[in-house]
Amino acid sequence: MSKFRKKGKKAAPGVNTSSLPDIVFMLLFFFMVATTSKESDPSVKVTQPEGVRTTDMTPYKQRSEIDFMYVGKPMNPARAAKYAEMGMEYMLFMDNVAQSTPDELYNVNAIRRWKLDKFDAKPERMSEPITGVITCIKADEGAPSGIIFDIRKELQEIDALTIAYAVRDNGGI
Amino acid sequence: MAKRDIPEINAGSMADIAFLLLIFFLVTTTMDKDQAYIRNIPKKVEIEIKDDTKVEERNICLIKANSQNQLMVRKEIMENPDDISERVIEFYNTNEKVNDPSNNFPMYSRISMQEIQDGLAIAEADAETTENTPNADASVIEYKYKVVDEWMGKKRALELYGQKELPEIHGQAHVRIEVQKATEYSLFAKIQSEIEEAIFELRDIAAKEIFGETYGVITRRYAMDKDPNDKEKMDLLKILYPDRFIEVTPKK
Repeated sequence: MSKFRKKGKKAAPGVNTSSLPDIVFMLLFFFMVATTSKESDPSVKVTQPEGVRTTDMTPYKQRSEIDFMYVGKPMNPARAAKYAEMGMEYMLFMDNVAQSTPDELYNVNAIRRWKLDKFDAKPERMSEPITGVITCIKADEGAPSGIIFDIRKELQEIDALTIAYAVRDNGGI
Repeated sequence: MAKRDIPEINAGSMADIAFLLLIFFLVTTTMDKDQAYIRNIPKKVEIEIKDDTKVEERNICLIKANSQNQLMVRKEIMENPDDISERVIEFYNTNEKVNDPSNNFPMYSRISMQEIQDGLAIAEADAETTENTPNADASVIEYKYKVVDEWMGKKRALELYGQKELPEIHGQAHVRIEVQKATEYSLFAKIQSEIEEAIFELRDIAAKEIFGETYGVITRRYAMDKDPNDKEKMDLLKILYPDRFIEVTPKK
């Protein structure tokens, strides 16, 4: 009558993981194709405002005809508080240089030097004159527009006459 | 030599390697695209302009925002920034079909092919004489050829438009954005967004009428395969509804 044999001590069969690399590689390739590399890691917090009918900057990035600037509050809360005390809530961040103090932000040379250095470092094949190289400003929602116009003025001085205001495209919703 | 079995390579750590790569790419890349509005900064001029030419009020679509983020469009206080695009559209198309001097909107002129041909001939002759003048300023020559190019553009546009006359908004008509230093960037961006929306909508409607497809479709296709026909279509739409924006540097 012992149709059901008493369960003996049997080891569970190991799961076959030989296809795991395949799965992970597939994921890897998906992310490699679907994403673009970050330009830089800004030390200021930027929440972009929303907008519609925007232009995609990806083709310009591929041709390296674009440089990015960030305007926002410092991510480090201690620093943010310190600068807020000095009446300097929003900071300008260019590559790995944060323009920390008010003096430095309005230091006329900083923006110009940054843009000219960036232009010199462009690959040889780029034929666009500096007038056409876009300067894309990614500013926080709450940033004062005055900063934008200060930047514009500096760029005008060195003939870098194309500018772009970054927004988050909400697709017209 | 005796046949030897090739030992199997242990691929157990392959998954680990792949994971490592995957995580690296996850960290260093971003998913979201960079979206922006491209604008041009006016070139710096060395010479001082003494008496600036007066622009008629009807040709200015003035959008003002103050430090309290309050909006004013053409001297009218506006509560909802979503309405800006409607006012910009109104600015462009009120006089489009019939000029009505009694209202405060920019006038349209209609030029025929004959007028364009004449204008082109005059501009070409002018450019040539300037070029042949000794000691002519290079920038002046450049400017004269720009005028010639403009006429050529109009000629191509009218050919494509297929009508007898090409409607053209007044040359001084523009949208002017005046913000203050403390105006929030979100409002500034909103104004830019609304203007862009208005221009797109106007061009969309015109494009549907003329070519049976929207401006958005044409620009997207042009970005993909750079078809010169699409470029001409876009040029025509840009002549019909030019995007002349002036962003005034705030004084306070």
